[in-house]
Amino acid sequence: MTTMLTFRRAAKAAVVTIVLGAAAALGNGDVRLQGAGATFPNPLYQKWVSEYQKVHPEVKIDYQSIGSGGGIKAITEKTVHFAGSDAPLSKKEIQALGGESAVVQVPSCAGAVVPAYNLPGLTTELNLTGEVLVQIFTGSISKWNDPKIAGLNPGAKLPDLAITPAWRTDGSGTTFVFTNYLATQSDQFKSTVGTGKQVKWPVGQGGKGNEGVAAVVQQMPGAIGYIELNYAQQNKIAFGAVKNPAGKFVKASPQTVSAAGEAAAKSLTGTVLVANIWNQPGDQAYPIASFTYLIVYRGLKNLKTPAEAEALVGFLSWAVQDGQAITTSMDYAPLSSGVRDAALQALKTITFEGKPVSTGGR
Amino acid sequence: MKRPSAATHMSEVDVQPGSQQAPRRPRSRGLGDLALAVTAHGSALLVFLMAAFLVGVLAFAAAPSFKRFGPAFLVGTEWRPNELERPKLGPDGKMVIKDGESVMEIIPPAFGALPVIFGTAVSSALALAFAVPVSLATALVLVRVAPRIRLGAMLSFMVEFLAAIPSIAYGIWGLFVLAPFLQRHVEPLLQQLLGDLGAFRWMFYQRLTIGGEVVERPLALTGRDMLCGGLVLAIMIVPIITSVSRDVLRAVPRAQLEGSLALGATWWQSCVAMLHYGRSGLFGASMLGLARAAGETMAVTMVIGNNTTIAASPFAPAQTMSSLLANEFAEASSELHRSALLEVALILLVMSLAFNILARWLVVGASARPSDAS
Repeated sequence: MTTMLTFRRAAKAAVVTIVLGAAAALGNGDVRLQGAGATFPNPLYQKWVSEYQKVHPEVKIDYQSIGSGGGIKAITEKTVHFAGSDAPLSKKEIQALGGESAVVQVPSCAGAVVPAYNLPGLTTELNLTGEVLVQIFTGSISKWNDPKIAGLNPGAKLPDLAITPAWRTDGSGTTFVFTNYLATQSDQFKSTVGTGKQVKWPVGQGGKGNEGVAAVVQQMPGAIGYIELNYAQQNKIAFGAVKNPAGKFVKASPQTVSAAGEAAAKSLTGTVLVANIWNQPGDQAYPIASFTYLIVYRGLKNLKTPAEAEALVGFLSWAVQDGQAITTSMDYAPLSSGVRDAALQALKTITFEGKPVSTGGR
Repeated sequence: MKRPSAATHMSEVDVQPGSQQAPRRPRSRGLGDLALAVTAHGSALLVFLMAAFLVGVLAFAAAPSFKRFGPAFLVGTEWRPNELERPKLGPDGKMVIKDGESVMEIIPPAFGALPVIFGTAVSSALALAFAVPVSLATALVLVRVAPRIRLGAMLSFMVEFLAAIPSIAYGIWGLFVLAPFLQRHVEPLLQQLLGDLGAFRWMFYQRLTIGGEVVERPLALTGRDMLCGGLVLAIMIVPIITSVSRDVLRAVPRAQLEGSLALGATWWQSCVAMLHYGRSGLFGASMLGLARAAGETMAVTMVIGNNTTIAASPFAPAQTMSSLLANEFAEASSELHRSALLEVALILLVMSLAFNILARWLVVGASARPSDAS
């Protein structure tokens, strides 16, 4: 009997403690936002969250990098408040979310895909063209000293070494951008390999994630793989310059990627902003670039309180303005001013319970 | 409330007169018995339920893929998750032109499991080819030599220690040590020795379709290929084949061994006789190894090259069923893709189950009927 009583008392105490503890953790007026999606911008988003919390400690944001597809699925099922995706929403996905008028999609930053290679003894930087990349990744150029590569790189000591293309085995925005760029360079490529988040490459080795492709490239003399610019920079992997439509060999950097984005700013209209920024005109524009996007419901029907709505719109508006200042230091490309304006315009159309959301003070 | 079995118990006890406590004790024991019986039976049932559920859920999730491809899934050679848009060709093989523009057609994604079934079969077969001789030799030493020189315990420990190493460790070793070694030393040497001989040409060249033409080009020797996958798997399955073989050989009756020696067999001949006697059990041990090799995931994914094609050469990258799942499942590009992956998982499950049942049947048969000498 006594043991039973003691147990009951302990249980009661435990419940009280848990309830009080939870209340204390979620202080008065605290707002919790949940996001999920693309892995590519994840380091930047985590940094944004921690920076934003310094200014707005009452807003707690959690972004989980479960992949673009997972993020879109999650927001469609309304299990998250916002989603991140490397590829823009497809028509089908927009329909599932309730149609174009129910969705706001804005670019948050831009990234680039770079051809990283492992060529021992090569002292100069490699110049490549889209055409040569197509031929390398479909197997018709199979040696590094092929005249087609040598012709682009006069004076470079290119070895008599077999080329091993390395590519992503998992579905990814990186593959989406790279294959779309190659498709602009060759109809043959478009109709045989095609474009998409995951394609069937005819030759070479697969790796999972940027790290998987980078591992193949770093370990295997003669390998060439496509990886994200920020991953290549942070891991000090050599990568080449690519010829843009203006005829210039451009190396990927935050500046040259932003330049590619600015060229597309005019095409950003409405609330579901989409711009493919590969193969853009301009002397400075790097040709294998893309935006990554943030997606919310335009009517915020997955939120509960006005405070949540204000916090979400506030965070997104901050991200496309003040947040851009920290992109370059993390090897992402900032949105150019034209793109920022378009994004802000789209965010201003967001409503909650039929009323525009004030972001005053945020 | 009263259960017949408990009642029988109580009436048995109630026959004994005397102690007041007597009726209480059996009842509490009855409850305890009941609880234990329910728990034990429930747990046993749970194992069956889990297995049945696993198959059921996989089959259910694989249904869209099965509906779409049918049995052709097993023999399809193309694994392509993306759509293709290409100019439509008329019956005469020329592009269909309408209003001055070529008509485009959309080719839907295609999923065929043959490349990964091939990859799993060949990598496992390679693994067996390397592992079985080593394992049988080790098992013979463990049974016939080691006890005499008091090394048995230590050798056994070493073999079982190999089994305890996590598979990711084998993968990392394969990736950073074995693959570069194969790429730099073994494969170039083999190419020098065999590359010029017509009979081995298929090992060093690959056929590609470029712009509608089939061309032959030299294969890049990468070290991350079917051979490397087979070797890493071989090392991983040596412990299980060795320890089961050791038990099988220990079960060979002493009379059998002494008989062969008495008939004048050399030490070597008596070993062969032993292997012959235990052959069905040894075959079962190999099957267990095969089942493990077929299901192994992480280590293989790291070293096999992950290219979902069928290539004859052991120096070409390949893909196994489990490595395909590890690579693609998390970011499957469509519901059909996910469903096709789950169908691959189902095939793998059924195959491993079949190997395991066959192996158990052979091994248990061998040790249970030692007198069935042939």
